[in-house]
Amino acid sequence: MRAEIIVITSGKGGVGKTTTTANIGVGLAMNDKKVALIDTDTGLRNLDLLLGLENRIMYDLVDVTEGRVPYKKALVKHKKFEKLFLLPTSQVKDKSSVNPEALMKLCDEMREEFDYILIDCPAGIEQGFQTAIAGADTAIVVTMPEISAVRDADKIIGELGRADKENIKLIVNRIRPQMVEQGDMLDMDDINDILSITCIGQVPDDEKVVTSTNRGEPVVGNEDSLAGRAYMNVVRRILGEDVPFMDLRKDSFFRRIKRAFGMN
Amino acid sequence: MSEDIVKIKGIKQGLLLIFASDSKFDEIEENIQKKLSLGFFTRGTPVYIHPEDLPKDDAETLKKIFAKYGLICKIENPENEIREIKQEEPQREEVSFAKPEVKVEGEKVEEMMVVNKTLRGGQEIRTKASVLVCGNVNPGAQIIAGGSIDIRGKCLGVVHAGAFGNQDAVIIADRLLPTQIRIANLVARAPDEGDETEKPERASIKDGQIVIEPIER
Ligand SMILES: Nc1ncnc2c1ncn2[C@@H]1O[C@H](COP(=O)(O)OP(=O)(O)OP(=O)(O)O)[C@@H](O)[C@H]1O
Ligand SMILES: [Mg+2]
Repeated sequence: MRAEIIVITSGKGGVGKTTTTANIGVGLAMNDKKVALIDTDTGLRNLDLLLGLENRIMYDLVDVTEGRVPYKKALVKHKKFEKLFLLPTSQVKDKSSVNPEALMKLCDEMREEFDYILIDCPAGIEQGFQTAIAGADTAIVVTMPEISAVRDADKIIGELGRADKENIKLIVNRIRPQMVEQGDMLDMDDINDILSITCIGQVPDDEKVVTSTNRGEPVVGNEDSLAGRAYMNVVRRILGEDVPFMDLRKDSFFRRIKRAFGMN
Repeated sequence: MSEDIVKIKGIKQGLLLIFASDSKFDEIEENIQKKLSLGFFTRGTPVYIHPEDLPKDDAETLKKIFAKYGLICKIENPENEIREIKQEEPQREEVSFAKPEVKVEGEKVEEMMVVNKTLRGGQEIRTKASVLVCGNVNPGAQIIAGGSIDIRGKCLGVVHAGAFGNQDAVIIADRLLPTQIRIANLVARAPDEGDETEKPERASIKDGQIVIEPIER
């Protein structure tokens, strides 16, 4: 086994990095892959919460990089998916002690044990970002369809380029088709125009993302949720499948019929 | 970095290729192929290679490659050429252009900086030379050049040509939609309601004002 190490980044905060990391992680595990999620961010909604694992944490990333425990001891196994593990972030310890070299060393060590290692990165381009991206083979940039988020994504792509990360993929999260149609939100063409990197996900804004988060069960694979389906498509693209993008417009079926009858 | 293997200098007679001293011929060839396939060189521009810079066979190989793209590659010292033209064909237009008062000998070779990628937000280029960008200049990116700026892509950032006072500097882009254009000491701001064209445009100073006009290329 030799894991692909994927870092999930964004310029702007709150665009859905942690949500995306949790959903991709669970989705890969559903596809029988052995996955480790490393949380390098400390926010209010961390990976452990999204995965419903916060009450099982014993050790954290800082304990591992400072050599207090071997990583295997710090990994938290998911309740439902045997092959999904979380290496939680520290809520209290000084995270600046995790430097790029330490994380790279850890990733190299873990690499042989997993199929995928996903790293949830803090927003922005501070030290935490440099650390999170250091060992990654692939970077996923998450953005939202609004100008400020896209510009920040552009900056991050520039920074990733400076750090010699060539393999960069885009996920556009929280798309609201109606707003796009009214011209109040950027559409995919606008976004691709500026960012010009390969897009592997177009995820709609969906309240099921929030409700499932509260239950500690990511929405991925939930067929009743558009976001759940979109996230599973992201997972399949990561696995190398060629999956077409869904038409996110809810009424698209009727619209097409209407058009066929010359009503629209 | 691969961009530096072949440097292009803009000179009066055309373009002069300069190779990084430790580069292998394979790398040079690959670099030039790439630049050519990107439509880097304008057809008809003479390209010069100093005969001392490459073994004869290698130079000939390059010459053939350039020929395929409709470009004339001359393996000679461009300085010699201008003197030759002067003596033998004094009537030629280029020469009358290069008036006698222009010193050919110590001719200042204007350097061109080539950027083979999209400039993203937060990235900045600052140079005394002219700049050629093969890619876009995104919002939040900035170019400050002593010479002219040529963008083979969209320009959405801030561009300043002739930044050290050169009023003859121009800015060219396939789509010129910058947040701000500056040439020498003049500033033009993008209109708030843009009448966008799909055509390449050139900004230059005319009668003490920055004017923007469509061009063919
Ligand atoms: N597709 C979606 N539809 C609806 N809500 C979403 C979607 N994606 C994320 N959210 C919500 O947006 C909020 C921010 O998401 P998340 O915490 O994943 O962002 P983040 O980029 O990790 O933020 P931070 O920069 O603070 O780490 C959360 O409340 C989450 O539930
Ligand atoms: Mg987060």
